[in-house]
Amino acid sequence: MIEFSAVSRSYGRKPAVADLDLTIPAGELFALLGPNGAGKTTTIRMLVGLLAPSRGSIRVRGHDVVADPRAAHLHLGYVPDEPTLYEKLTGREFLWFIADMFGMPRSAAAAAIEAQIATFELGAFVDDLAESYSLGMRQRLVFAAALVHDPAVLVLDEPMVGLDPRSMRIVKDMLRQRVGRGMTVFMSTHLLALAEELADRLGIMVHGRLRFLGTVADLRRQVAGSGAAGLEQLYLELTDQVGAAGDPHPAETDR
Amino acid sequence: MSDPSPRCRPLDEAAEARLFWRLRFLSAWATLRGMLRTARLRLALVALLSAIFWATLFALFREAFAFLDSAQLVVAPLLFNSFFSTLMLMVVFSTGILAYAGLYTSREARLLLTLPARPEAVFTHIFREALWFAGWGFILLGSPLLAAFGQVRGAGPAYYLLLLPFMVSFIAIPATIGAMLALLIVAWLPRYRLQATAGAAVAIAAGLGWLAWSALATPGADSLTVPWFEQVLARLEVSQQRLLPSWWLSSGLLEAAAAHGPGAPATLAESARFLAVLVANALALSVAAAALARRLYRTGYSRLSAEIPTKRPPRARRLDTLLAGRGERAAAPVWLLLLKDIRLFRRDVTQWSQLAAFVVLLGFYCLSMRAFHYSGSYAPVVGFLNLSAIGLVLSTFTTKFVFPLVSLEGRRFWILGLLPVRRDEILWSKFVLAAAGTVVPCVALVLTSDAMLRLPAWVAGVHAEAAVGLGAWMPNLRESSAAKIAAGFGGTLALVLGALLVVVVVLATAVPTQLAILASHGQLAGGGWVGILQRLGTWPGVAAGVTVAVAVSAAAAAIPMALGFDAFRRLEP
Repeated sequence: MIEFSAVSRSYGRKPAVADLDLTIPAGELFALLGPNGAGKTTTIRMLVGLLAPSRGSIRVRGHDVVADPRAAHLHLGYVPDEPTLYEKLTGREFLWFIADMFGMPRSAAAAAIEAQIATFELGAFVDDLAESYSLGMRQRLVFAAALVHDPAVLVLDEPMVGLDPRSMRIVKDMLRQRVGRGMTVFMSTHLLALAEELADRLGIMVHGRLRFLGTVADLRRQVAGSGAAGLEQLYLELTDQVGAAGDPHPAETDR
Repeated sequence: MSDPSPRCRPLDEAAEARLFWRLRFLSAWATLRGMLRTARLRLALVALLSAIFWATLFALFREAFAFLDSAQLVVAPLLFNSFFSTLMLMVVFSTGILAYAGLYTSREARLLLTLPARPEAVFTHIFREALWFAGWGFILLGSPLLAAFGQVRGAGPAYYLLLLPFMVSFIAIPATIGAMLALLIVAWLPRYRLQATAGAAVAIAAGLGWLAWSALATPGADSLTVPWFEQVLARLEVSQQRLLPSWWLSSGLLEAAAAHGPGAPATLAESARFLAVLVANALALSVAAAALARRLYRTGYSRLSAEIPTKRPPRARRLDTLLAGRGERAAAPVWLLLLKDIRLFRRDVTQWSQLAAFVVLLGFYCLSMRAFHYSGSYAPVVGFLNLSAIGLVLSTFTTKFVFPLVSLEGRRFWILGLLPVRRDEILWSKFVLAAAGTVVPCVALVLTSDAMLRLPAWVAGVHAEAAVGLGAWMPNLRESSAAKIAAGFGGTLALVLGALLVVVVVLATAVPTQLAILASHGQLAGGGWVGILQRLGTWPGVAAGVTVAVAVSAAAAAIPMALGFDAFRRLEP
């Protein structure tokens, strides 16, 4: 469903992602973890076609995101780290714009929009201009927009930012439900607990390289083997160890 | 290899274009509705002042064309060609900057590039906005000029009907070229885009300045005399190249204005042919730009991300240290805020490259004043015309650079809001920056241009104060582009008020002075109206004029700043 093949990307001479090989099958929720500047956001921006890899290729359901971005985008839904909306459109108008952009038939779009409004409880404000929304409202609307066309692949960059506990619960339930129906989710997060709760597999990226790839159970086994007190401690040890001996040009910002 | 969700299908080009038009319409309609609901007074004020501005320009241009016709100078073709070719260069540059900001740094572009939209459709959508922002000024300035010309020449209704199509099709050409240059520079020279932009700005300014210098410097002839005009016109022949869109526009409009009597249909047909040439070229360029965007937009967007500088060059670090005084003493809040604004301005190439272009242009203009020769009672008129020209340039300058200062704080406003400084101090810091940025270059230019250019430094100060005040009165904290803020609602008001201030100040001082000079030469005698003019043309009349100018200027500075302070204290971002 998603294939990273020997993907590298640098900013000037600074490597942000190096030799990433990763395949995520249909119906899997994959969580990418890592400290600030690890290369998570760069990986996601390459996946959604905003950045081209310096080397290697990325495919979404077989479509190369650089060579054929439109075909790849038809399968993608994307929730960015900063929710972007048109301030002078209402939430409903924005959802219609997205549905129309994906070429949905009118009746299917209308039904999907109503379903998303209900799922994310947008009804109270969906007909107001987006300029009046709080961060949480924006984030919920962006989720609804990313899902309105029922994508096969959902890409999430720090998805819980700005959400209240109830909204977080809604998102988590929705993700598990969709993944159960075959959707692939690629999620970047700083929250270890979130990855532990939701992810089928997780990767830990440090200085642009994938240092751990496996299931939560694999990570737990590593915890047991390493003598660490818990996942968090192992995560910190893993990243600290690599940070001390690793890349001579560590990234300074999370890009 | 696989099909998308059965509910999705890729849009064809026409459907995609309709969708983007709908998006633009909905946003514009919501903006207009919001303004009508919450800012009717402001809207009415801007409309009224724009109408006055337009009418004043129309009257001035009409008098100028009537004067030129009465002197039997065949000047219109050259004047139009020079004006439109100069404007063409400026639109190339300004649209290039606007397109760059919209295509590569806006959040909208980042959103649209993650959707299944064609890159050329995204380009066209964003370019249209840049075209609008770059083109409205041309329409505002060009329409009174062309309408006045039509009236003086007794043009028929067809001329006025053709004005808008001519102007729109013309402006689309340099605007598209500017956007294409932005695409090419980012795709091919992402690392040197700043240098390329700044270099282009200074080169255009220097080129225009050289043209003005070489055209106006006419040794041996007194300025504003018929031989002087003839020499100037001869040197402006260079602007009449037949391959330039400005020539097609000028020729088409001149034909339309000359459509009288039995030969009118043929003349109008000739005009329509020029319009067709403009439209065809605009459309051809738009196709070329779309093809370029298809190949280069995504690539350029990605390459640009790889070139974001993460370290300041050593020279910049030294400048920062110097300005900060090495942090050895606790600085006043106003100075600290000022320092921040200087750094932000210095690092925003789209801002300082335009400033550089302005200063170079003004420099050439002032230097060219040395080459003028004046005699008799025209000399003071030229002095006041200089004052008007510099004042109008200054209005544009303060609108473009000073008015957006408060709005540019945008979403970062909470940082200022939480600082232990009074809001008045924030506004004063903006004023100090603006005043320094306008008074210092203006005084320098005045000194450079000898005593010929009589721009009082306080006019610059008043402009800066009014622009800061208006900027604080009607900030737009959601917009991150300075150019769009300046071209918006409040910026238009600042521009119009600034220009009106120049007109009032110049008229209040120039009219009595000129009348006094004419009276002293015995050229003002008679009863009735002339009697009133005689009384005005005395030295007490001159003193009264100066008093009125100073009073109006003081009000123009104080009222916007007071409004700005009041609104800024209550501002809830």
